[in-house]
Amino acid sequence: MVPLIEAVDVSKRFPGRLGRESTLALAGLSLAIHAEKPSIIAVVGESGSGKTTLARLLLGLAEPSGGEIHYCGTDLRKLDRDARRAFRHDVQAVFQDPYGVYNPFYRVDHVLTTPLRCFRLAASRAEARQRIGEALRAVGLQPEEILGRFPHQLSGGQRQRVMVARALLLRPKLIVADEPVSMVDASLRATILGSLRQLTDEHGISVLYITHDLATAYQVSDSILVLYRAHLAEAGAVERVVRAPRHPYTQLLVSAIPRAHATRDWLEQEEHSGMSGVAPTTAGCRFAERCPHAMPDCLSAPPGLYRTEPRRAVACVQYRDYAILPRGDPGVVLSA
Amino acid sequence: MSEPILQVQDLCVGFDHSQGLVQAVDDVSFTLASGERFGLAGESGSGKSTLALSILRMIKPPGRIASGEVWFAGRRLADLDEDGVRALRLTGIALVPQGSMNSLNPVLRIGRQIADAFADHDLRLNRGEEEQRVAALLADVGLPENVSRMYPHELSGGMRQRACIAIAISLSPRVIIADEPTSALDVVVQRQVMATLARVQRDLGAAVILIGHDIGLMAQFVDRLAVMYAGRLVEVAPIAEIIANPRHPYTRALIATLPSLEKRGTLTGIPGLAPPLRDLPPGCAFHPRCPQATDRCRIERPVVREIGRARVACHLA
Repeated sequence: MVPLIEAVDVSKRFPGRLGRESTLALAGLSLAIHAEKPSIIAVVGESGSGKTTLARLLLGLAEPSGGEIHYCGTDLRKLDRDARRAFRHDVQAVFQDPYGVYNPFYRVDHVLTTPLRCFRLAASRAEARQRIGEALRAVGLQPEEILGRFPHQLSGGQRQRVMVARALLLRPKLIVADEPVSMVDASLRATILGSLRQLTDEHGISVLYITHDLATAYQVSDSILVLYRAHLAEAGAVERVVRAPRHPYTQLLVSAIPRAHATRDWLEQEEHSGMSGVAPTTAGCRFAERCPHAMPDCLSAPPGLYRTEPRRAVACVQYRDYAILPRGDPGVVLSA
Repeated sequence: MSEPILQVQDLCVGFDHSQGLVQAVDDVSFTLASGERFGLAGESGSGKSTLALSILRMIKPPGRIASGEVWFAGRRLADLDEDGVRALRLTGIALVPQGSMNSLNPVLRIGRQIADAFADHDLRLNRGEEEQRVAALLADVGLPENVSRMYPHELSGGMRQRACIAIAISLSPRVIIADEPTSALDVVVQRQVMATLARVQRDLGAAVILIGHDIGLMAQFVDRLAVMYAGRLVEVAPIAEIIANPRHPYTRALIATLPSLEKRGTLTGIPGLAPPLRDLPPGCAFHPRCPQATDRCRIERPVVREIGRARVACHLA
């Protein structure tokens, strides 16, 4: 089957200006999302790890510097008018900031009616109203409490759910959600993530859930990609990756989550995590300088991607006894 | 714990509004011991930041302290004039404000911004002494000396947040109020920043008020936790006790929002929304969202009661 969206060895480098060095934001990542097997794929990593760059590339908002993004088998840059339209319909976005995405001068209805009009999805006003009502109810909102209001009259959680409803309205095949809950309260987080889960389970829509919060990723997603400084560190089924992390960076991430019911030794463990914010100086593994298991090999060349389990790939030389995956292809481990 | 360093008594803070006074902090009392780490948790809009600002008398109109008192080291803050309060900030009580990593002045070098505190508090230092103290402060928060000559945009989020902590501890305060100091940082950097805060706090013997909504972070950092809802403290108890045996239904709900790493698909929220402060429901403000609410909760506002080592405002506790 041809995947809905496929990233083939994509990288993104932002050129340096004023004599600065260019920045590698994403390095040789491959990923395939199939429409016939809807699931939630989480992408986690610290700020600057390349999560948002990946989202922008998949949405066609940025062009890769290397590699290709395919929509139904065609390079995004070579889509004709109709195919581009279909792509814009099939792949929707939910962004981080539920305050910044609205035009404060328009009622919230505007963000819901515009896509219906653009894609001519409703034959009449009555049908448009009905579809909007359904979409709002699907994310747990009452249309009468939302429609006709201005953005500032809604809470952050309501606004973000309207955005999910907007995405749902188009019946897309994939929603790319970039940090959709990082700006809403913990009490509402569950509701919004629950709506995303529902989109997958009940409406057959895949979701790429981009977050820095490993704990919520574990809660809602099926598979996970862990990025570290533009490189894939680990990918696989979320249950395995979070419960038994193999890459030292994933292990660090899991251990750094403060937990309520655990022993109170979170601060003491700090000494072992190494300093972040120090740019790697070698051509090898990006994590080597902070890694407790680093060996000389780690500094000389970047690690390969080893398939440690049928649904697991780890970019760390500790696992070099396992089969190596062809140059960055987590597609097989994510969709198997 | 030793003698109290900070006492907040029956504090009410309101915002003047066309329809009357909106109570953002309603009858809040607590005592902070020297060297104690005290947590203040609640949803956004519950009054946490307003409470922090009023302790420092930094509430600006239309906000005002309607009643109640704040005592710091035996002095009543209301008795101090504007200059007196100004002198007390940073030397007595320091604030790491919310989003402070983005509040550094983008056109001043970090060292200059730290040294501003010395000048403002009439410490006459020559350039050498100033540089020395800035370097020592940067070392305290685990930043290299050359950060002093850098601009904020040259630092990562975690480094900027540490620079803000360096400013907060520059005049050895007795109380550090940290308002969501790590909410924009990822977990690894969060732990580094919190470990830094814990270390400088121990070295100074200062007390910390940590404001936030991450119960996991609270459980790992504070000694005692206060849970705030709609401007009121609904439960105050030692942290181990509140995690093991939360007595207020809101505290229970807040703890339940913490995503588990043991079992998938168990993420829970709190149904409903926090009530608007200018139109609080009668009785207990939490009753419309409370799964156990009774008729009494709808009519009678619960008062704070002592139950063991906890203080709880709930009819059912």
